[in-house]
Amino acid sequence: MTARVIVVTSGKGGVGKTTATANLATALANMGKKVVAVDGDVGLRNLDVIMGLENRIVYTLIDALEGTCRLNQTFIRDKRIENLFMIPTAQSRTKDAVTAEQMIDVCDELRKEFDYVLIDSPAGIEAGFRNSAAGADEALVVTTPEVSAVRDADRIIGLLESMDKSPIRLIVNRIRPRMVKKGDMLGVSDVLDILAIELIGMVPDDEAVVTSSNKGEPLALSQSAPAGIAFRNIASRIAGADVPFMDLEMSDSGGLFGKIRRAILGH
Amino acid sequence: MIKLKGMYDSMLRCIISEDMDATDFSKEFDEVRGQGKRFLPGAKVVLDFGARPLSEGLILNIMTDLVWPAGMYVAAWITYDAATQDLLKRIGLPTSEPSPSARANESAKGGSLLLQRSLRSGQRVEHAGDVIVAGHINDGAEVLAAGHVTVLGRLNGLVHAGYNGDETASVVVRSMEARQVRIGTKIGSLDRDERWWGKMVIVRVNEGSVFIDYWPVIKSDSRDESAGARSAD
Repeated sequence: MTARVIVVTSGKGGVGKTTATANLATALANMGKKVVAVDGDVGLRNLDVIMGLENRIVYTLIDALEGTCRLNQTFIRDKRIENLFMIPTAQSRTKDAVTAEQMIDVCDELRKEFDYVLIDSPAGIEAGFRNSAAGADEALVVTTPEVSAVRDADRIIGLLESMDKSPIRLIVNRIRPRMVKKGDMLGVSDVLDILAIELIGMVPDDEAVVTSSNKGEPLALSQSAPAGIAFRNIASRIAGADVPFMDLEMSDSGGLFGKIRRAILGH
Repeated sequence: MIKLKGMYDSMLRCIISEDMDATDFSKEFDEVRGQGKRFLPGAKVVLDFGARPLSEGLILNIMTDLVWPAGMYVAAWITYDAATQDLLKRIGLPTSEPSPSARANESAKGGSLLLQRSLRSGQRVEHAGDVIVAGHINDGAEVLAAGHVTVLGRLNGLVHAGYNGDETASVVVRSMEARQVRIGTKIGSLDRDERWWGKMVIVRVNEGSVFIDYWPVIKSDSRDESAGARSAD
C-alpha cells in the first residue's frame, strides 16, 4: 500500500480545517479506503473531539516520536467505520515537540499501511504548519469567502508552491448563497479569480456542522445535510471520480440549499 | 572659444567662454556644428555662458546659428547674469541646472525584470530597475522597483516605484484595486468608491503629489468594459 499524503491547511484559523479533515477522512473511509487522520496541531488538538474519539486516547504522536510507544499504538480506530483511524497529538506540548524530519518519517511509515493519510495542519505559517506539510505530497487549502481568509490562503498557497506540493486544491467553505447573490459575500468565482488554483469543492454554510462537531459525529455520514453531501463529493473527487459541482452561487432559486432541499427532501 | 563636454545621463555641456569676443560667435558656431555633426542631432545639451550677459539679438543668433541647425535639444541655458536669467525666464527657456535623474542611472544598472506569474500574498520582489508583472499582484504581495512598474493584471498588493526617491517613476496597472501606491518618497491613496477603482490607470508624481489617471483605452478594448461591469455588480 502506498498512501497519498494530503495536508489540510488554510493559514487563517477557524475556517474549517479540522472539520474538513474529519469529514473527508470519514467520507473516504466510507468509500472503502483505509484512511488515517493525523492531528498536526500540537498543543491545540481538536481533531479527536470533532471525530468523537477523545475518550479513547492513550498514546499520542508525541509519545511515539519520543519513543514511549510504537507509532501503531497511537492509532485510534473509529467507532463507526472500521477502516478509519486517527492519530491524536499532545495537548500538553507545543509545536516545538515535533520536527519536519520526524513528520516526514511518520508519513513514510504511514504510507505503507494506508490508502490516504490526511494531516490536519494548525493555523499560521510557522513551524507547526511547516511540520504538518513537510511529509505531504498534496495539499487541500480551506478558505471561507472572506477577504481576510482569502489573503491568508493566498499566502499559504505561495508557501506550499515553494515546498513543491502538488496538486494544491481549494475548498471554499461556509458559502451563504443568498449573501453571495445579494453581493454581500465573495462568490466562489471571486475567490478563484484571486487564488488561481484548482477548485475541489464548495461547502455551504450549514448549522448542522456545529451540532455534529459538538457531538463528534462527522457530517459526512449524514444523508441530508448539505455540507455533508459537499464533503462526500469532495472525497469522491480526491479519489479521482468526476463529480459535477453543485451550482452554489449562480442559482436564482435559493442556491444549493434550495436545490438540495428540492432534490433530496422534495420541497 | 566654445567647448563641448560630456555629462551624466549622456547629456552634453556646451561651454561658451566668457572672454570670447561677440564677433567670433558665428565662426565658433560653425566649428561646433562641424565637430558635432554625428552626435549633436537629438542630443541633450546644457548651454553654459558663465557670467556672460546675453542680449535678445544674441539669443536669437544662438537659436538660428547653433541650436536649430545642429538639431540639438537644449536642457538648460546657464548664465550667472541676473538680467539675462530674467530675460531667459520671460521667454520661457529653462535656466536651472538639470539634476541627474536617479531613474536613468538605476534603469541602466538593473535593466527590466519581467515576471510571468502572479505574486501571492507575502511574496516580495525588489529590483533595481523597471518591473513588469505579467499577472496579478495579490493582496499582501509587494513589488519594489527603482524604476517604473507595469502590472498587466490586477493590483491588490503594494507597489513602490522609484524606491530610491525617483519621482519620475510611474506605475501602470491593468486593473487598479489597491488602496495605496508609492512613488519615490510620496504615497498616494485611493478609495474603493473612486472612479479609478478597477480601471486601467497610470499613477505618477506631478509637482510633489501623486496623481492617478485613466490609461487611454482604445475602442476595441472590450475587456475594460467587462472589468467595469464586474466591479459594479
